[in-house]
Amino acid sequence: MATKASRTAARAMMSPSVILLLGWMLIPLALTLYFSFLRYNLLMPGGNPFVGLENYEYFFTDPAFQTAVVNTLLLVGGVLVVTVVGGILLALLLDQAMWGQGIVRILVIAPFFVMPTVSALVWKNMFMNPVNGLFAYLAQSVGLEPFDFLAHAPLASIIGIVSWQWLPFATLILLTALQSLDSEQLEAAEMDGAGPFARFRFMVLPHMARAITVVILIETIFLLSIFAEILVTTNGGPGNASTNLTYLIYAQSLLQFDVGLGSAGGVFAIILANIVAIFLMRMIGRNLDA
Amino acid sequence: MGAITLEKVTKSFGDVDVIHPLDLRIEDGEFVVFVGPSGCGKSTLLRLIAGLEDTSSGRIVIDGADATDVPPAKRGLAMVFQSYALYPHMTVRKNIAFPMRMAGLDKAEQNRRIEAAAAALNLTDYLDRRPGQLSGGQRQRVAIGRAIVREPAAFLFDEPLSNLDAALRVGMRLEISELHTRLKTTMVYVTHDQVEAMTMADKIVVLSAGRIEQVGSPLDLYREPRNLFVAGFIGSPKMNLLTGAAAAERGATTIGIRPEHIAASPDTGPWRGIVGVSEHLGSDTFFHVRIEGRDEPITVRADGEVSLHHGDTIYLTPDENRIHRFGPDGLRLA
Ligand SMILES: Nc1ncnc2c1ncn2[C@@H]1O[C@H](COP(=O)(O)OP(=O)(O)OP(=O)(O)O)[C@@H](O)[C@H]1O
Ligand SMILES: [Mg+2]
Repeated sequence: MATKASRTAARAMMSPSVILLLGWMLIPLALTLYFSFLRYNLLMPGGNPFVGLENYEYFFTDPAFQTAVVNTLLLVGGVLVVTVVGGILLALLLDQAMWGQGIVRILVIAPFFVMPTVSALVWKNMFMNPVNGLFAYLAQSVGLEPFDFLAHAPLASIIGIVSWQWLPFATLILLTALQSLDSEQLEAAEMDGAGPFARFRFMVLPHMARAITVVILIETIFLLSIFAEILVTTNGGPGNASTNLTYLIYAQSLLQFDVGLGSAGGVFAIILANIVAIFLMRMIGRNLDA
Repeated sequence: MGAITLEKVTKSFGDVDVIHPLDLRIEDGEFVVFVGPSGCGKSTLLRLIAGLEDTSSGRIVIDGADATDVPPAKRGLAMVFQSYALYPHMTVRKNIAFPMRMAGLDKAEQNRRIEAAAAALNLTDYLDRRPGQLSGGQRQRVAIGRAIVREPAAFLFDEPLSNLDAALRVGMRLEISELHTRLKTTMVYVTHDQVEAMTMADKIVVLSAGRIEQVGSPLDLYREPRNLFVAGFIGSPKMNLLTGAAAAERGATTIGIRPEHIAASPDTGPWRGIVGVSEHLGSDTFFHVRIEGRDEPITVRADGEVSLHHGDTIYLTPDENRIHRFGPDGLRLA
């Protein structure tokens, strides 16, 4: 993009996609914003009068609201911790030369190809079910009381399920980062007197910093809007113990048919996502600079 | 202190023998250069000494103690890699400090050594930069700095100059030689550049296919190459090797004569030839001369001012005292 002519050409070439993407983003955003200021309930046909911030007031004072925000952040944070730590450990393991490496790698990647609803159902019915589940069977076989995961630790269970799905993604990205580490650097560190832990701390981890950042940013985008896993396992319950923002908005706009309220929630979700994004970029964004 | 002894050391990767049983003694304070063609096992040998590879058999003794199974960090050796292997996320200062930090040296001592090394290597202005912001020569100096501050028993260099341009290479060559005179620490230096080997070494080890061909001072190797391989490898341009009648006359299978030991004259001499390509270097001129009945041209050094042209007739007189004679097994005849 050195010359003026090539810059102009580049802009002309890019403009259709930019305009399309902008429309794609802006129209739903504008409509959501617009609906959030209307009293708009599908069960009450008739006019949709403008009510100002009433929907926001209802949304923020909803008893489930605070829980939902906390749950959203816990869900994102919990899954991030499990997948990044687990991903680093798995990547270190898979980087070792071992017998059957190819098969093991495929096995590790497999969960990523399973649809969220399917994996959540499998976990719910085949593993965590207190009567028929594998965990219950294992607990009974050593003489313990089966634990009803989804009833007594709903959020932790969902964090577990979602982490299982995202672990392969983290592992894969971190593994490629690990493999691009110059082996002479590690050898130099070894000669400089760095033991395995010091090498990990001073060579491997800084080298993977950028990949870890990418994993965190991409996962955060998807994890803020986790929905299917909650819908098929706990339905946000018991009570609202596993309700996150997405699920709360769904409950309000589609279970209570209140479009206005749901839109207000949507606008808040956008704001929350941006706050999280700013926070993340402040904390780890500099890792992305060359 | 840094005397290193290899006793019957071998190395195989799988069923490929890379180093054949090999004995070598490196005295304390010596500058030893491993030289040989690509793939002959120079790096492998250096890595065996460093401890980065395990020996397949044999013993490595450092300062009288068996170091065969000692991990690299405990051998007290410092290595400078061909790729420099600097830590890209650390500043130059932190790079140099890293080995001392690992050894748990106190901060004041660390800083003292960093300042000293930086001053010696002209790095003072770059201490707060990262390796990515340095030129190749500067990176090389950082790598050397990182090795110096450890005050090792011996330095190991694996082709440290091969990524530098020719002018810088000559400069760094001198700097490393000066460093050696100043520190008087053992240095083991790998190169495939025989000029580096000749100019820097106290002792050259010529390797070929995992075997030592000859060990000796640069001039020993130049004056008395033990076999045809060393004869062809040491010296630039290469020694002329002749077989046939010229060799038989002198009771050998092959004779070798260096380009600088042949006198060229336009009218008298035992060997008559035709000038082919000539290379004018200013101080010297090298003529590639075709002699009747021989496929290979003979290289001859003449004064830079001699003017002979392509196609001219030339007479060559070899210096009989400096003809090397080799037997049918390729070994030097007494
Ligand atoms: N890890 C390894 N596994 C198998 N073979 C190896 C390994 N490392 C080196 N080799 C083989 O050992 C031989 C010697 O390699 P080495 O790197 O010591 O050569 P070198 O003399 O340093 O060559 P160069 O001048 O090109 O650096 C080569 O034939 C190489 O293919
Ligand atoms: Mg090598």
